[in-house]
Amino acid sequence: MSGGSARSLGKGEACPPRSAATLRRVSGPGPGGRAAPERSHAGGSAPPGPVPEGLIRVYSMRFCPFAKRTLLVLKAKGIGHEVININLKNKPEWFFKKNPFGLVPVLENSQGQVIYESAITCEYLDEAYPGKKLLPDDPYEKACQKMVFELFSKVPPLLLSFLRRQNKEDCSGVKEELHKEFSKLEEVLTNKKTTFFGGSSLSMIDYLIWPWFEWLITLELNEYVDHTPNLKLWMEAMMKDPAVSSLFIDPKAFRGFLDLYLQNNLEACDYGL
Amino acid sequence: MRFCPFAKRTLLVLKAKGIGHEVININLKNKPEWFFKKNPFGLVPVLENSQGQVIYESAITCEYLDEAYPGKKLLPDDPYEKACQKMVFELFSKVPPLLLSFLRRQNKEDCSGVKEELHKEFSKLEEVLTNKKTTFFGGSSLSMIDYLIWPWFEWLITLELNEYVDHTPNLKLWMEAMMKDPAVSSLFIDPKAFRGFLDLYLQNNLEACDYGL
Repeated sequence: MSGGSARSLGKGEACPPRSAATLRRVSGPGPGGRAAPERSHAGGSAPPGPVPEGLIRVYSMRFCPFAKRTLLVLKAKGIGHEVININLKNKPEWFFKKNPFGLVPVLENSQGQVIYESAITCEYLDEAYPGKKLLPDDPYEKACQKMVFELFSKVPPLLLSFLRRQNKEDCSGVKEELHKEFSKLEEVLTNKKTTFFGGSSLSMIDYLIWPWFEWLITLELNEYVDHTPNLKLWMEAMMKDPAVSSLFIDPKAFRGFLDLYLQNNLEACDYGL
Repeated sequence: MRFCPFAKRTLLVLKAKGIGHEVININLKNKPEWFFKKNPFGLVPVLENSQGQVIYESAITCEYLDEAYPGKKLLPDDPYEKACQKMVFELFSKVPPLLLSFLRRQNKEDCSGVKEELHKEFSKLEEVLTNKKTTFFGGSSLSMIDYLIWPWFEWLITLELNEYVDHTPNLKLWMEAMMKDPAVSSLFIDPKAFRGFLDLYLQNNLEACDYGL
């Protein structure tokens, strides 16, 4: 790691002033080039300044699947944005003023409007910004996407539960439940006879559920979709999407993060930086 | 189901928007097998139209009705204002399980822990109204978010637990304003019927859902 502020800031230490040069701006649908991520903001850090005109800010964490939803939508719609990462194991006090739940993702625009809850941020971005609409206009089709979202809702806690238990105790019960949940999603694709969950093109619902399937790939757990062929094909189709591929997590970094995170290590969120 | 607060959300929106509808009640303690083909989760409310399209999950049904039918829009057009209503919905989300938990425990064991948690959740909602300086959760007029959270406050009234909003004056005023709404007042539950239902329901009695009929 290069010199400068490699040492992490502890409680009570002031955040170094932020100059335009250190602000990592991630703008537009640029050709796959990713700006270097900053270390996360932790307890004791000073609150960030106002959001610059023309950009929207997302409070995130590099490995958070919920925040990934928002980053995917920002990328897919080509929305100019800046990212401030939060240390979820040592949250700065000011962050609770942005979101009383203290969770990422959170959006903040230059008017000081704040939006939290990943699904709400994604829907807000689709409505507030121009370009390709990710949610359908038709009320029934939109309702269908939300019903699939509900069908999917047990997967995040199950997958986390599975990852916590691995190598510790028998997780066959969790495996069976995961199979059951994946079969529900398989049934949707089988009935719709389309590649994606919203139809023949990729749309909002695909981005909303993707981050957990990305985990399956990075953790080499692909066998979990062996019995759900349409789901498997969907994953392959998703990997070809520009937003998905440009934001794909580095498997080594993710494993490194996960090990530290499951041990409640304060450094987990900055793994690899 | 006549006493289901989640289904009440949908009935309120149907009434508020003047949408012609028919009601089929489901016995939630003894569900018909065919109902799971309508909703794999087996829960009410579920909407079904003449094209055979089915929509379930109370919040989804309400949003669908607002978008698919003409008349007064209950959700704001502005993306940020709409997002605010959904954030308030999240802030409210602990109230339904807490209130149910409170009702299950009453007279059985010490429920002061649940009471404290309810107070905390109501204070969060109070804070929203205090910051907004408006009567309703979406502004100066009644809108979607007010209907979505109303059924549980209706429970407080029918069960004479109004003291739970004694420390949240704006919430109390909001409840009084809601009671004046035509949709709310026309669908108000009969307190005797609700108590009768609740007793049977908490005992898992198969007849609970049809109490009074």
